[in-house]
Amino acid sequence: MKLELRGITKRFGSLTANSNVNLVVNPGEIHCLLGENGAGKSTLMNILYGLLIPDEGQILIDDEVVTIADPKDAVNHGIGMVHQHFMLIPVFSVADNVILGSEPVRPWPVIDYKAATTRLLELAKEYNFEIDDPNATVENLPIGAQQRVEILKALSHDASVLILDEPTAVLTPQETDAFMVILRSLKASGKSIIFITHKLREVLALADVITVMRLGEIVGVTSPAETDERGLATLMVGRSINFVVEKNPATPGDVVLEVQALYVEDARGLTSVKDVSFDVRAGEILAVAGVQGNGQTELVEALTGMRHPSSGNIVLNGANLAGQSVRHFLNAGVGHVPEDRQRYGLIPSLSISDNLVLDQLDDSRFRRRFGRNLKAIKANGAALRESFDIRAQSEEAPVGALSGGNQQKVVMARELSRELKILICSQPTRGLDVGSIEFMHRQIVDIRDSGVAVIIVSSELDEVVALGDRVAVLYDGEIQAIVPPSTSREEFGLLMAGAGADKATL
Amino acid sequence: MTTATREIVTLDNLRIISRTRSLAYGITLMAMGALEILWYGSTDSKLHTTIQFGYNTATVWPVVSSFLRVILLLAGIAIIAVAVRPRSVARIGHIFETVRGSRTIAILIGAYLFIWPVFLWWGINLHGQLRTMTVDVALTGYLFGIMSIGAGALMAWRRFDRSASGMLYGGLLIFLLGFLIWVARGSLPLQLTSILASAVAVSTFLMFGSLSGTLCERAGVVNIAIEGQFMAGALASIVFASAFRGSGISMTFALLLAGLFGALFGWILAVMALRYQANQIIVGVVIVAFCTAMSQFLTTQVLNVHQNLDGSYGLPVWAIPGLSHIPLIGPVLFDQNVLVFIAFAAVIIANFALFRTRWGLRVRSVGEKPIAAETVGINVVHIRYGAVILGGFIAGVGGAGFTLGPGSPFTYGMTAGYGYIALAIMIFGRWRPYGALMASLLFGFTIALSANLNLYLNQLVIPQQFITALPYLITIAVVSGLVGRIRPPAADGVPFQRH
Repeated sequence: MKLELRGITKRFGSLTANSNVNLVVNPGEIHCLLGENGAGKSTLMNILYGLLIPDEGQILIDDEVVTIADPKDAVNHGIGMVHQHFMLIPVFSVADNVILGSEPVRPWPVIDYKAATTRLLELAKEYNFEIDDPNATVENLPIGAQQRVEILKALSHDASVLILDEPTAVLTPQETDAFMVILRSLKASGKSIIFITHKLREVLALADVITVMRLGEIVGVTSPAETDERGLATLMVGRSINFVVEKNPATPGDVVLEVQALYVEDARGLTSVKDVSFDVRAGEILAVAGVQGNGQTELVEALTGMRHPSSGNIVLNGANLAGQSVRHFLNAGVGHVPEDRQRYGLIPSLSISDNLVLDQLDDSRFRRRFGRNLKAIKANGAALRESFDIRAQSEEAPVGALSGGNQQKVVMARELSRELKILICSQPTRGLDVGSIEFMHRQIVDIRDSGVAVIIVSSELDEVVALGDRVAVLYDGEIQAIVPPSTSREEFGLLMAGAGADKATL
Repeated sequence: MTTATREIVTLDNLRIISRTRSLAYGITLMAMGALEILWYGSTDSKLHTTIQFGYNTATVWPVVSSFLRVILLLAGIAIIAVAVRPRSVARIGHIFETVRGSRTIAILIGAYLFIWPVFLWWGINLHGQLRTMTVDVALTGYLFGIMSIGAGALMAWRRFDRSASGMLYGGLLIFLLGFLIWVARGSLPLQLTSILASAVAVSTFLMFGSLSGTLCERAGVVNIAIEGQFMAGALASIVFASAFRGSGISMTFALLLAGLFGALFGWILAVMALRYQANQIIVGVVIVAFCTAMSQFLTTQVLNVHQNLDGSYGLPVWAIPGLSHIPLIGPVLFDQNVLVFIAFAAVIIANFALFRTRWGLRVRSVGEKPIAAETVGINVVHIRYGAVILGGFIAGVGGAGFTLGPGSPFTYGMTAGYGYIALAIMIFGRWRPYGALMASLLFGFTIALSANLNLYLNQLVIPQQFITALPYLITIAVVSGLVGRIRPPAADGVPFQRH
């Protein structure tokens, strides 16, 4: 089955998630869709699977235009999808999950489990899957086995195109190897596969065709023969925004933060930060570069107390903070501009003034008897709104109503209004317009010059190079090297693709 | 020893959790046993209680000859032995391992066959029939106490995974039985059969209510409006039946009308919760408030004026031929009004429908993870509509259990919060129809108990109000998660919105 997407555009409010995307998938092809988080891969695939309706564009199957309004249409057209977060019902058995939606009944309406099990085992045999017990409860299976159930589910609906959304993100290396064998056998049986990922190595090992997306657009179509990891990394990270930051050379002072042999586990219990050690001095910016999903989130969460490291030390001005509460980190002078400002940085329904004092409510300035000193909070809001140029009708407006840039200014203003020893900014300019980006960069450089240590985590290489005084490159949870920002783009590409410091010429 | 994190469900964790639970239940059982010995066992040894089985002498099976009794006794032992160790008799044991629940039923039947001849030897009267049995109160207390402590110790020591809750419920029933024997000491005979029969009768509406809750919550909608659906069903059915002076066919339609009124309020809940995505709890409470107000208005303004519309018409009582003649169980389970049988049938059908049919699988999928159901082409909202309306219908029929069941007129406030208790019963029964049935019977028993305690007021050292409050106390214990591993459907009460 030949599948074609023609001129797909999808907007969410002011954000264009997909802009005029064209994609052709031929029968029996493994087509890799590569791009960073937020590049629009998942949006595109959700459109193909009928979970989202495109604003413009057409979907063609075997050169005929089809309408896919809901997942049922997609299934009927032979499109199957394995979601990143499995669409399995944890408390159901394997068999129940596979037959759900197309249950064999005999006599009506009683489910014919014998027929269901037979079909399941036949299918598993045909594609060399291991299904030990069709009656096992899905939540008790290892992740790799759950994924096989999900694929079986799609195959049992006679899918001829399989969309796999970041299938290896949840797998251990061993499971990934087993998974690749499955993919090859699916390809051999004539199924087309759309494989979404941001892991370069897998792409080069598996793909027939590689399409690279960035910021909702397709920025390149290539094949493993024509490119290598460096080329793909450069395409993915791109260079569309030209970051220019005026700054004087840093004058580093004493070591403020010392991280020693830090190990952090993610929510699934996998070690995502491995043996990370570095130090940051007063008055310098350490930038952390790397393709997203290589441990940045967990590293920042550990450095701000939101996630307890499994081992290692976080020494701030001589005191080890590892394992302490967020409150301890705040009191010790850690400022945090979080990656997801809507979720962790702000309370959207509260006013700007209230958001500006969220972490300072026990400060005597903002307290009055048993409650808050509303007058002082409002005055503080007005003053900060003025000095940070937060564009809003008043400081009493709810933060949720502001634009992304102004929301980020609120977060930044709050963090900077405390006495800081170190400021940790994660993706400080994601989703912001050029003016706000410039403003943020100016603030970050100013706070550095005032003698505060700064850590910037960004997946935008240009931003990292423009801001950082030193750049640490993370790959697979490990620091590959800490290099000066003047390092060449090619070397950064290599480091970000996991070629350790020994291979890169420094 | 590894520790268990309750949030992460793995086989190992489940085993650890259920083993811990078994230990906790074992200790509870031992505590109950100790209490039985200290409390019931300390009764004056001269005091006896006469248990009256009180079934109809004319209809009882003549299971009286010694020969037959020995056969029953041996059959009971044989059945229990096979059920406990299914592998010992491969051919029959196979059934127990494949058909779920058959083992429990076999053990119950075996126990019954075993106990009955023993009782006959013990308490036979001059006519050769077991009508009353006199027991020594203190001795019974000691016996029950030792049994409980023994079972509890065994449970704490061996850590049974699966039979833990069954053992606990059994211990609880024995405790209550001991209480009954104690409270009736040295005075009026204990009307055991009639207490149990009224327990089954009052649990009818609880069965319907908890079944309704189970169905709705399995589909992911919290039906807190059961109380209101009870009222609507109770009022509508009695008015309709009264209008036709309780003629046979009108009773059938009265039941149907009760269901339709329940379904109407189910439908309102569904529209508000599913189409307009309103908060389900608030909508439910508003429906109850509306029904309360309406029922008050109709009682004072209509029924009090036209009293012929609020008569006393009871559903016919059926004695199932054969089954109703089984001693003790017969009159309790098989000599009841029609609604009781409908409730039993509804539970069985609902259990089959939920766990064996296509519709049931879809209902459960929608209540667990609606997005997953949608990706395989299931219309989440339609399935939820169906379940909520059907749930409303069931609760409405249950409402008839207040009026047509016992044959009493509608009075304002007669539902007395049982609609909310039904939700607790649903939790107690772990969102399963059979669980709801068992929990309903247990609650019904406590209700019947408090109603029958009037006879023994002077024997009671604790205030009667405490016994009356017992169902509500159990409700609090259940809802606060004291009983068992409570795991609701994952999407229970979570609105579903496409994109």
